[in-house]
Amino acid sequence: MKRLLIVDDSKLMRDMVAACLRPLGAVTFEFAGTGLEAIERLALSGFDLVVLDLNMPDVGGIEVIEFVRAQDRLKTLPILIVTTRGDDASRAQVLDAGASSFLAKPFAPEQILDEVRRLLPA
Amino acid sequence: MSLHVTFRVGNANYALPASQVLHLESYETATHVPGAPAYVAGLVQVRGRLVPVVDLRTRFGLPPIEHSLDRRVVVVQNGTRVAGLLVDSAREVVQIDEAAYEKPPEIIEEQASGFVNGVATSAQRLFLLVDVPRIIGEELSHG
Amino acid sequence: MSERVDLNEFIGGFVVEAEELLATANTCLLEIDAAISDGKSKPKAVRDLFRALHTVKGLAGMVGVEPIMELAHALETLLRTADRAGGTLQRGAVEVSLQAVRAIGERVRMVAEGRSVTAAPVRLIEQIAATDASSEKVAAPPSIAADWDTRLSASERQQVFQEMQGGMPAWTLGFVPSEHRAARGITIATVRTGLAAVGEIIKVTPRTQLDASGKQAGIKFEILLLSKAARAQLAAVLDVEPDTLVAIAAPTPATASATEAPVEAHEPELEDRAHDPSRIGRATVRVELGRLDELQDQLGSLIVSRFRLERELAAQAARGLDVRKLREVTDLQARQLRDLRRAILRVRMVRVAEVLEPLALLVRSVARTSHKEVRLELDARDAELDKAVADRLLPALIHLVRNAVDHAIEPPEVREAAGKPRVGTVRIACTELASKQLELTINDDGRGIDREAIARRAQRQIADSQELLDVLTTPGFSTRDAVTQTSGRGVGMDIVKRVAVQELGGELALDTQLGAGTKFTLKVPLTIAIVEVFSFECARQPFVVPVAAIEEIFELTAERIEPPGKLRDHRVTLVHRRGHALPLISLDARLAIENGTTAKNAMVIRHNGELIAFAIDRMLGRQEVVVRPVDDPLVRARGIAGATDLGDGRPTLVLDLSELGDEHERIGA
Repeated sequence: MKRLLIVDDSKLMRDMVAACLRPLGAVTFEFAGTGLEAIERLALSGFDLVVLDLNMPDVGGIEVIEFVRAQDRLKTLPILIVTTRGDDASRAQVLDAGASSFLAKPFAPEQILDEVRRLLPA
Repeated sequence: MSLHVTFRVGNANYALPASQVLHLESYETATHVPGAPAYVAGLVQVRGRLVPVVDLRTRFGLPPIEHSLDRRVVVVQNGTRVAGLLVDSAREVVQIDEAAYEKPPEIIEEQASGFVNGVATSAQRLFLLVDVPRIIGEELSHG
Repeated sequence: MSERVDLNEFIGGFVVEAEELLATANTCLLEIDAAISDGKSKPKAVRDLFRALHTVKGLAGMVGVEPIMELAHALETLLRTADRAGGTLQRGAVEVSLQAVRAIGERVRMVAEGRSVTAAPVRLIEQIAATDASSEKVAAPPSIAADWDTRLSASERQQVFQEMQGGMPAWTLGFVPSEHRAARGITIATVRTGLAAVGEIIKVTPRTQLDASGKQAGIKFEILLLSKAARAQLAAVLDVEPDTLVAIAAPTPATASATEAPVEAHEPELEDRAHDPSRIGRATVRVELGRLDELQDQLGSLIVSRFRLERELAAQAARGLDVRKLREVTDLQARQLRDLRRAILRVRMVRVAEVLEPLALLVRSVARTSHKEVRLELDARDAELDKAVADRLLPALIHLVRNAVDHAIEPPEVREAAGKPRVGTVRIACTELASKQLELTINDDGRGIDREAIARRAQRQIADSQELLDVLTTPGFSTRDAVTQTSGRGVGMDIVKRVAVQELGGELALDTQLGAGTKFTLKVPLTIAIVEVFSFECARQPFVVPVAAIEEIFELTAERIEPPGKLRDHRVTLVHRRGHALPLISLDARLAIENGTTAKNAMVIRHNGELIAFAIDRMLGRQEVVVRPVDDPLVRARGIAGATDLGDGRPTLVLDLSELGDEHERIGA
């Protein structure tokens, strides 16, 4: 069973992301509401993929990515960024920081599903 | 000396310590409550509160009177209960010396006597002091 | 493929969350506005405001509400500039932000009501774009501690600097997460909640820990906290020894004494803050009120089935069976049901402080349009109220507060001339009474109500406050004209009375002093039972029954009744309905009331699985009412479930036909 961590400060957004990914079938979803919680969860246990929002109350998504990538054991963890900042500069900044992929909100359910399927290790 | 609210039922004058009276309300009609004792005129709403009203004429065994603008509801508080007493008229507030309460003589208004627990005079007039707990059937609320 | 996921199911959630975020945005804007008045800045509020709008924008995008996205985006851009400029916002920007938040709110309501959402107003968008965020460009932000400076934004540095100069101790704290700690329930989330209860967290950053050989060995969170809490208290939250905590030296020598945490002397104040639930992040869940009603309905049917169980048990016992063990179980079940009922009622409670929140915005806007200077004081403490009561109460409060600001509080010059402070005060306070009521007072220090003027206008004598209130709350009575200036009350007081007294079954009182101010006191029940009822007449007296109790209502015609003709006695009569014969009970006879009219309708109830019809005179209507208990022994009677007010100010009895049906069994037997 794959483990996915969905990080967003909006519970509604977390629920929507999980709803979009329901067709994946055999995965378990875990949730974090802040960047700090995400870092803690990632540091303490193993996940197969993270869906990460950029804008959060404590540490932002960019900081989370940078921190995760600085950890030896998390260097290859797939990180999918979902964000309202859809411009090219943001995209470049996010990918530069070490995100695996980038999806601008709003997105269609199939888009995120396809993207996660592509990123999830077999 | 303390203030008493006085009112009339039939041919007698009655009094109640003002401390037991919450307010005086004019009376048009009450909502009849089927199954309640005959002496209960019904329910009224006084300042947002549901208040059961006891018709003192019926309670004292007097014949009913025609509708009259003089009729009042004396809203009384007895412990946690609030009830209204429907009287023929209520106009005055008088000073009565509580120390001068006397036992009720076995005269006037025989039917009412069970609900009178004292008499007092003020300005040469005789007032019967009503027994609120008896009137509102305090015994009903126990047991 | 069945892979399609429809995000429309999240519309309801969007409305709820967007409204919450907009409430937060308004609170932030009011804080910023107040700070501007005091010549201060409020960087944290600017940051929170930015985040709230950013989230609204993201959510609006997901559910596809373009105009909201557009408005939120414009505002977000303005606020980002403000945040980067040190977190100051100038008054013009606050004003335009309030307008934008209102415009978003209007559109959220359109979404809620399923209407099409109107486009974002172009002028407003342009106005936002043309607004200068900050009044001043902050020079290089002051230095806090070399270690933190690079990690903080300009506005954060500004804030910490300001607070430390004001004597607030600052700390660098470390928290090392571990599986062991997580297992004991200590995580960064609980640490944050714990610290937020005793101070303000400015920044938390993660750090990689290295072991002696330079290899990575876990992580650590570094926290910059402003707090007057004792060292030991902070250490307990972090699950560490007190001497590992580092206090940051104050930035200027003038406040050197504040460097080390002062503590003991501040302990009581901290206790208060720690107990203030608004500061503690409690885990919450949002539930639609309709679902709670459903829960309550389910509980209702559970209670009914419990009674049936009781009855069966009694029947078994009558047959000589030993039911003592079973009785123990049903007694226990009865207690559990009572507890469950109480628990459900508790779920319906909302904090009064939250209910009163929108009033701050109202005061601000009414004061502005009427050129008054008004301060609103809210003192709701920890009081809670049933959501249904709160929803009904709010319009009345809005009315009273609007009147107070618009009519009662004098213009600043008039106040000064009268020797009063320039700024008027409207104060709302509440207390829970032992009678399970909430007492709310709305106090203003305005001009008071001129009883004489009102009496002249009403052309009647006014002896006391109660009579004054009676006149003011008479529908149609208006003080809107020259009298307004002297009376200090506007129109529509009848609405307040209708809400407080008729809808909620509460009380309304007035106390006013000419020239000094007015106090309204509302007493409302903490919870109410709202029931949908049918109203009908029987023997010319109106009654109501809960809609849920009625299976069917039909017209009663003579040929349906058997034996035909008289209905008035206690003999069992039958009525034919859909090929079945049902027992027909004459309601007036059952209630023993005299009646000279003929029954036109029958209401069918299900009683112990069997249908029974009650003959009534005629149907009046269907409505939602507040049911109040009728529990005085004088009027406690069979079949009377309570009383309500249908709007005429008189009690109308709520009947329990099922209880009256019981008698049918007895008589029939």
